[in-house]
Amino acid sequence: MTAMLLAALCLGQVTAEDPNDPAFLIGKELRCPVCQGMPISDSPSGMAIDMMGQVRKMHAEGKSREEILNYFTRSYGDWVLLRPRTEGVGWFVWTLPPVGMLVAIALALRYRKRAPPATPHVPPTSDPYLDAVRKEVQS
Amino acid sequence: MNWKRALIPALIIAPLVIILARSFGTDPRALPSVLVQQQAPDFVLTDLDGNRIDTQALRGKPLVLNFWSTWCEPCKAEHSLLQDAAQRWGDQVHFFGVVYQDTADNIRRYLEARPTPYPHLVDPEGRVAIEHGVAGVPESFFIDAQGRVVHKQTGVLTRDVINETLRALTGGTP
Repeated sequence: MTAMLLAALCLGQVTAEDPNDPAFLIGKELRCPVCQGMPISDSPSGMAIDMMGQVRKMHAEGKSREEILNYFTRSYGDWVLLRPRTEGVGWFVWTLPPVGMLVAIALALRYRKRAPPATPHVPPTSDPYLDAVRKEVQS
Repeated sequence: MNWKRALIPALIIAPLVIILARSFGTDPRALPSVLVQQQAPDFVLTDLDGNRIDTQALRGKPLVLNFWSTWCEPCKAEHSLLQDAAQRWGDQVHFFGVVYQDTADNIRRYLEARPTPYPHLVDPEGRVAIEHGVAGVPESFFIDAQGRVVHKQTGVLTRDVINETLRALTGGTP
């Protein structure tokens, strides 16, 4: 068994995806239409395998990353991109979270500054009713 | 209540709620087709008998493309509807089945018992399926005489969908 595995490795029959392979990296940017949370580079679905085959073929033909991504968005729409474009609605996807965080921080700081001053300590009186009212007002 | 304090968070949250609420009632896995009202991709494929089919040469008559497989039970469920539709509308409309993630031999064996009056095309490497934005089967495309996609059906076809769409495409009755 070990000898067979070694032989297969020597013959190059067992290969792992090269993480620096440009076609593999492009596949990482495309959403599998079947396993929708996965890129086609990782999805085991038949459609993903066909799509990766198309990516490799187009890359081998000298097509650029942009041309390959456009090929798939023409058929599936921008939905197929795992990284939204930085134009149109995609612009909001990229800018809204950091802008929202900055606005939230600004609002939090503003409301913190407006917090009412601490009430001065008033010693208790002999009247328990008055103490209760004072405590109610100060809380 | 300090309405001014509530206004800014409301202005931020309200658009988000509206955007999310628009998704209620929709199938989260359904892919809207970007090809509807656009030119369908032209292609050249061969049928099971080796005949070459060029969709560009078929312009002038509406076209129904049905992506299907023998391992797909919903595909088999709509098969009889397509057989019937092809017999009724076949003079006015081209019908083609496109083999998806399956082999020609499987399709031949299946069709031996359930013949259809229209050709089935072999799509090696799924290129035509990809160019039509197919995510699974069955999916059907109704294309007008000028090559424009007028309707994409994701999932099983119904008799009503077929008849209404073909009536609109042909402007008549079968």
